[in-house]
Amino acid sequence: MTQPWNPAQAGMTRPPRRGEPASLADILERVLDKGIVIAGDIRVDLLDIELLTIRLRLIVASVDRAREMGIDWWEHDPALSSKARDLEQENRELRDRVGELEGGDQAPDGIPRQRVTSPSDRAR
Amino acid sequence: MSPTWVYAVTGDLDFAVPDDLEGIGGARVREVHEGRLLAAASSVDAGAFNEESLQRRLADPGELEAMARAHHHVIGTVAEAGTVLPLRLGTVYREDGGVRAMLAERQPEFAATLGWLAGRAECGVKVWASPAALAGSGRAENRAPGGGGGGGGGGAAYLSRRRDELAARDQASRRTAETAAAIHEELASLAVAGRQHRPQDAPAAGPGSAQARDVMVLNGSYLVPVAGLEEFSAGARAAVAGLAGFRLDVTGPWPPYSFADGPTDGPTDGPTDGPTGGEE
Repeated sequence: MTQPWNPAQAGMTRPPRRGEPASLADILERVLDKGIVIAGDIRVDLLDIELLTIRLRLIVASVDRAREMGIDWWEHDPALSSKARDLEQENRELRDRVGELEGGDQAPDGIPRQRVTSPSDRAR
Repeated sequence: MSPTWVYAVTGDLDFAVPDDLEGIGGARVREVHEGRLLAAASSVDAGAFNEESLQRRLADPGELEAMARAHHHVIGTVAEAGTVLPLRLGTVYREDGGVRAMLAERQPEFAATLGWLAGRAECGVKVWASPAALAGSGRAENRAPGGGGGGGGGGAAYLSRRRDELAARDQASRRTAETAAAIHEELASLAVAGRQHRPQDAPAAGPGSAQARDVMVLNGSYLVPVAGLEEFSAGARAAVAGLAGFRLDVTGPWPPYSFADGPTDGPTDGPTDGPTGGEE
């Protein structure tokens, strides 16, 4: 699979470059956010998926590109990595964030941090 | 009994899964028939795909990527053969019987959506704005260094200048949003329907590239007749061609992921924040 779908057959003027895989970000936003939702027997918490996609988008939209750039952010992101258990750092960040919010009257950035980290909290 | 992972539904009953088509975990993909519908499905390991372990896998970027690519690959393969209704990643049944019951129950709805999607494909259009377009002026950024020092301005002058800068930036970002909305409207008018995804935050190009700091202002999907894909693509380019500082990328055609919930929304619905609309 190198392209979203047979663009050559469909005659696109400028299909994605030959051999270039469809961007992972483009695939993720479709398979996770779109597609018809049917409640199967095994329930996946869609809220968690939503949080995950938000998180993915916040950090980097393309794992492909991250790899190209040598970034392994998931290794250091407790909310995303089942391996990383860097609670200390997470707590420090949360404390900083709380201090920030209590100190100034800046509005939160729209995505409360505790919501974002909840999937991993639940997993623990 | 192994659980059944479902990828997509189609009404093309002649569709035969290619022998070498691998799904999640490298499993062979097979057809599950019910009435006038067919689902592409495969068996997955019971231990690895119970609720807890599936949730955990979804939280692991490596596993998520592998599952997303496998899921997408199967859907794309079905799409090449006919009209496809993509299912959200992670639709898993305890056994094929559950899949058949689901197909039977939702047959009328699926048939209607498949009819609407027939002969059409999804086109992705991303529009980026350059920092200059976002700031409203190409010079806005070069002015900052040196700040309060020169020019005989005291603190009050500096603050006033700063306030003007912020107001200008505010106005520019509002203008950018309006431009993006107008582009979406125009593209949607060229298509059967349009949907907006949240713009991606990733760098638009590798570091060092002149476009590395461009910001995505529109991330849309448009449902287009397969025969009109080229025309749509040209129309999309034309829509942005006259706008200084804006550029666009067309991706696809994609299987109609963004339109799997049917013609429920108007052609100009707003950006979606995760699962909305068609969820149930």
